[in-house]
Amino acid sequence: MASSRDDFVIAIRSAFLKKTTKQKFSLLTLVFLSIFIIFLSSFNFKVINNLRSILNEVVFRSSFIVSIPENFIFNSYSKIAQYSNFYSEFKDNKKELENFKSKEILNEIIISENNELKELIEDYKISQNKILAKVIVDHSSPFLKTIIINKGSFDNVKIGTNVYDRNYLVGRVIEVNYKSSRVLLLTDLNSTVPISITPGNVQAIVIGDGKNSGEIKYVKDNLIQDIINQSIAYTSGTGSIYKSGIPVGRINTDNDKFLINFYSDFDQLKYVFVEINQKNETVLDTNDDNEKINTSTLESTEEIKLEILNEELKILNETNDKFIEENRSLRDEVNDTNTKILDLQKKINLQNKKISQNTIDQNELNFLRLNLLYSSKCLKSGFKKGFKVGTPEYRDCILNKGRKLND
Amino acid sequence: MIKFEKKSYLYKIYTWFPIIFLFVSVLNEFDLNYLNLDYFSFNFPFILIFYFALKEYNKFDYFLVFIAGLINDTVVGLPLGISSFSYIAVCIFASYLRNITIRPHLIKDWFYFLFVISLINSTNYSILFLFFSYDLDIMFYIINNFFTFLFYPLLAILLNYYLKVIHD
Repeated sequence: MASSRDDFVIAIRSAFLKKTTKQKFSLLTLVFLSIFIIFLSSFNFKVINNLRSILNEVVFRSSFIVSIPENFIFNSYSKIAQYSNFYSEFKDNKKELENFKSKEILNEIIISENNELKELIEDYKISQNKILAKVIVDHSSPFLKTIIINKGSFDNVKIGTNVYDRNYLVGRVIEVNYKSSRVLLLTDLNSTVPISITPGNVQAIVIGDGKNSGEIKYVKDNLIQDIINQSIAYTSGTGSIYKSGIPVGRINTDNDKFLINFYSDFDQLKYVFVEINQKNETVLDTNDDNEKINTSTLESTEEIKLEILNEELKILNETNDKFIEENRSLRDEVNDTNTKILDLQKKINLQNKKISQNTIDQNELNFLRLNLLYSSKCLKSGFKKGFKVGTPEYRDCILNKGRKLND
Repeated sequence: MIKFEKKSYLYKIYTWFPIIFLFVSVLNEFDLNYLNLDYFSFNFPFILIFYFALKEYNKFDYFLVFIAGLINDTVVGLPLGISSFSYIAVCIFASYLRNITIRPHLIKDWFYFLFVISLINSTNYSILFLFFSYDLDIMFYIINNFFTFLFYPLLAILLNYYLKVIHD
């Protein structure tokens, strides 16, 4: 018994402490070193953060270089696959483009209107500045869904900056280095996005499912019954994590679950847009002296004006939403009615055809019936005047029930 | 069978293959899931480290394994030191098995490997969940564990062939 315990101790000691000639450190040293690093990384020390930032820069670049061969093979394969159904996609895209063009005009009008109203109620407006960033590391890890982009604090990227693929939300920046940043994708389990669902204007929170979609976890006021399949989800802006009004995806009801199919395919990201917000203070044309004198009166009147404008803005927004909603439902109704009219027109044509066919059949039947009775009177024979079978005269004779005297 | 001149550069590069492959795999983070199967993933570095630590391969420096762990943490976005700790723990267990085994057998190694990766993955999950408040899907860990276990014998046979070329 004692000897087996001794063997165990010797084996353990040997495993931890024994160094072969080629090993520089014993395993025990390295275990302590890694525990020490884990301990340090759990605290937010500036030195550690800087060190980590430098390490990130080096590793991300190296990772990008190392991934080149695999990416090349994978990209070549997907390019070949794309070329094979290029034409059909082109046709679909053309149709879609036409559709989008009309929507874009409407969108531009709303944006400009919105900006004007914002300028009216605030002394500054936020200018949106999107910069293009390249995805340098995109490893679909089964545990964490993140990507690395080649823009960092040097380019004014901050923690929390929103990241887009075209106009669709992709995620937000969670770690910033000098020339690179880590973006937490919406599909990650740690990602939560406050959204509004339309139609119904239902407020909810989407949490990534760790795969390729998201799941609605918390619905405000339990308005689950208001959510319908293929509803549109966009950011609500609650909590100021994400800007409001950014398209996120479409709702897909699956039994009791409400899943979101994100508009963007996170496995295919090559370039993304990073939004940098810059507040532009607009200088008000006010005289300093006058301002000092009239501060109190001005403040109160300004406040009242502001309140009125806020109210107006609220009403305008609401009516705008209503109009858009009404417009959409009317358009749907018009489309439905048009299709119904087309169907009815088809039916009428079909019935007309049937009626005309029926009349022809009736005439023919009448002729045949008379033919049985009066054929002897109209038929030409050796001793009798008449008409040859099949001629129009013969037909007239049958229909007139025999020959007239002057025939 | 491939044969090298012992002092040629090609031979030297060949002997460094395991460590090069370890670094490439942590930098590239192979997931090899081109079929997009749900949940499919396996931990290639675990297999590589366990095998070469078990064989006491002299070019497989533990310090480099430790560095590979740090790189893996940076690439994946885990707190620094987690993967290093896991990799070194794999080395320790493999080293212990080597010390207590007189006649090595692939099947025994295989099941011991299952025990080791299960223990390490559980520790990893617990640390991330309890100390760093990471929200992780345990199913990913279980399936990753299972596939890593499943691929071990296959890769062990291939790596046996690799070592045979060196020893010859």
